[in-house]
Amino acid sequence: MKTAPNIARVLGLPIATGITMCVVWHVAVTSGGVPQYLLPAPTEVARKLITSLPELLGHAAISGLEAVASFLLATALGFAGAVALVYAPLLREIFYPSIVGFQLIPKVALAPLFIVWLGTDSVSRIAFATFLSFFPVLISTMTGLQNADPNAVRLSRSLTASEWQTFVSVRIPFSLPYFFSATKVAATLAVTGIVVAEFITANAGLGFLILSSTPRMETLTIFAAILMLCFVGLLLYGAVSLLERAGRRWFKGA
Amino acid sequence: MSGTARKRLSRLLGARRVVAPLVFLLALFIVWETWLHYLPMSRAVIAPPSAIFATLVNGFPILMKHTLSTLIEIVQGFLLAAVVGIAIGALITISTWTRQAFYPNIVFFQLIPKVAVAPLFVLWLGVGTPSRVAFAVFMAFFAIAIATATGLENTKLETIRLCRSLTASHWQTFTKVRFPFAMPHIFAGLKVGMAMAMIGIIVGEFVTGQEGLGYVIMFASSAGESAPLYAALLLLAALGLALYSCVLLAELAVQRWYGAPFVSEGFA
Amino acid sequence: MTDAAGGFDAALSGGPDAAFIRVDDVAKTYDTGRTTIEAISNVSFQTAKGQFVAILGPSGCGKSTLLMMCAGLEPVTSGTITIAGQPMTGPRTSIGVMFQDSTLLPWKSVLENILFPIRILRRPRSEYIDRARALIEMVGLAGFEDKRPHELSGGMRQRVAICRALIYDPDILLMDEPFSALDAITRDEMNDALLDIWQRYTKTALFVTHSIREAVLLADRVLVMTDRPSTIIEDVPIPFVRPRTNEIAETVEFVRICSHLRGLIQHGHGRGQDKPGVAAIFQGNKVEAAR
Repeated sequence: MKTAPNIARVLGLPIATGITMCVVWHVAVTSGGVPQYLLPAPTEVARKLITSLPELLGHAAISGLEAVASFLLATALGFAGAVALVYAPLLREIFYPSIVGFQLIPKVALAPLFIVWLGTDSVSRIAFATFLSFFPVLISTMTGLQNADPNAVRLSRSLTASEWQTFVSVRIPFSLPYFFSATKVAATLAVTGIVVAEFITANAGLGFLILSSTPRMETLTIFAAILMLCFVGLLLYGAVSLLERAGRRWFKGA
Repeated sequence: MSGTARKRLSRLLGARRVVAPLVFLLALFIVWETWLHYLPMSRAVIAPPSAIFATLVNGFPILMKHTLSTLIEIVQGFLLAAVVGIAIGALITISTWTRQAFYPNIVFFQLIPKVAVAPLFVLWLGVGTPSRVAFAVFMAFFAIAIATATGLENTKLETIRLCRSLTASHWQTFTKVRFPFAMPHIFAGLKVGMAMAMIGIIVGEFVTGQEGLGYVIMFASSAGESAPLYAALLLLAALGLALYSCVLLAELAVQRWYGAPFVSEGFA
Repeated sequence: MTDAAGGFDAALSGGPDAAFIRVDDVAKTYDTGRTTIEAISNVSFQTAKGQFVAILGPSGCGKSTLLMMCAGLEPVTSGTITIAGQPMTGPRTSIGVMFQDSTLLPWKSVLENILFPIRILRRPRSEYIDRARALIEMVGLAGFEDKRPHELSGGMRQRVAICRALIYDPDILLMDEPFSALDAITRDEMNDALLDIWQRYTKTALFVTHSIREAVLLADRVLVMTDRPSTIIEDVPIPFVRPRTNEIAETVEFVRICSHLRGLIQHGHGRGQDKPGVAAIFQGNKVEAAR
């Protein structure tokens, strides 16, 4: 048995590794080994991030809001869909195989289709990102609802609880861990969906900024935008993780 | 036909779980075709199944060329990502120090929207195959590395102790015990990796716009011709299913060698 | 000082065989960062060559840790462990270890699992195949050579684990609650099987258990451990002659020894409630441990 993990080491080591990588990157660039237009120095990226902050924030707000909207839609629809499929056997038999089959094909390929159908404004981007992040929520929540502890369900039945009571007091709590781990996947996919959609059609947003800067070789802008996108992604992911933690704590009754 | 065979057939036909989704799909196509027959819509938005089928037949040589390009790039990207991912996953679990130093960073990368980096690969490697394959490797290897590292860490303490009590070397413990025990995790990672490699190649094709089914999809959507778009999507779906099945088959083969289903003692 | 004491004891008890396993004032502490927890304190005992010694105690009294230290799988915090005259610094091939879990490799057949140590030790496989088959025969698994672990019952898996521990003919067998995951009926069968094996291949054995009955049935001596503090409080000789069968369990003497041991454990268990127990670390309950 090892000694209890040292917090300083657990946190410090990965941060130190990250900083070391940045230093190596910096030295590689400033020593002239790598041309600036291919890989700008980290300090340059930081400076660009600060000087163009208002512009970047504007793009980030567009992408971020669209991602949040898609995420919320996907989780709501995914949860509702899971409940519907669990409680309507016929619906489940009709749709479930198609849904599982759908999981196996690369869904990003459908992005242009959404633009063809819904036009080039944010509706089509949100629809695509929702579509992308909807499936994990649906499938996980279904698994969760179906995997409720059978003894807890039997207990509930033995107390002559109604189907609705069993659903609310047994099935939903048992499905929450599944639901929450799926929402984390959905958070990442929502941002991915918005970026891919912005690659294809947009006149604003971080994905647009990244792609439109490529032919002009504005590497600094690309890096700053990617960094900004990481912030947006992590912010959304972090918020969902916090919610998940609260949910899990409640589930465990601690 | 014997009585039992008839019974089996009727049971098969009666099985709603098989028939229901098929009926649903068939009905969808019929409604789709007749709807467009009587109420024509813009060709740019939707094409009847018959037109899609015609495109598949008439455009077969061109579509095949693009399908092949996409297929080869996905396979290249996936295989490279598998090798790199498994190697990195194994390297970071060499010691507690390396794991603590690198593992959180890799998980961190897994959380950020990696597709955003696609244009950088174009900038670095141009608009050809190397840039798309490199991007697919970048997309796919994180999941494989994380799964490998998790699997290698997951061998039961008692089994490791057994090896140590036999004075096994680290290398023996790795090759004979820890690596086989990690197999289920590695395959879980490979399945995700395959999906990511496909996304990488397709997004790469969107961005570079040179060849491949992703390019066909983009081109057709901007040209206002939806039949090639749907045809390319169908081919891509077939490709996705085929590639995923390959990973699944490999997993089954390994499971057979493994002798036990992939959920047994040693990994929870 | 330890050397002098060792020489003295060995002279008293007659040669190194009398102190084949020597545990001298061994202690083990864990550092949780805020507090140190004493898992084992001041344990000393020795066993003669060929003796079967059971270590009996409640869950979490540190008996498994003691066994792992004897196997060279856990470092000692202080004190020394000497086996066959050599101080323990790490695992060695003269010691076979059995765990609570059979730790069989799911992708290997029964025969291959038994031959696993031979592969690790890079010994010629051909020389051991006959021995492996004989062991399989002895534990009643003939015909199961090519089965995989998941096709076997829990008892059968532990039989395979016994064969695996015996294949490379270690002098010492260390067993860490090997039958505690089995149901009561299977456990009785395994005890019979172990008595039988013991009759054939006499080894020096340390057997950790929390079953009083099992300890008395199998062992020549029972060392009783308590958890507060974690140390050996009594060394009880078991007088039954070998070969034994489980029928001895019905004798008055057996019942008397069992009730004596039960009294020792209950007495030891209730002592010093205010002292932090090792049980706390194993349950991962740091708060209670720190209190």
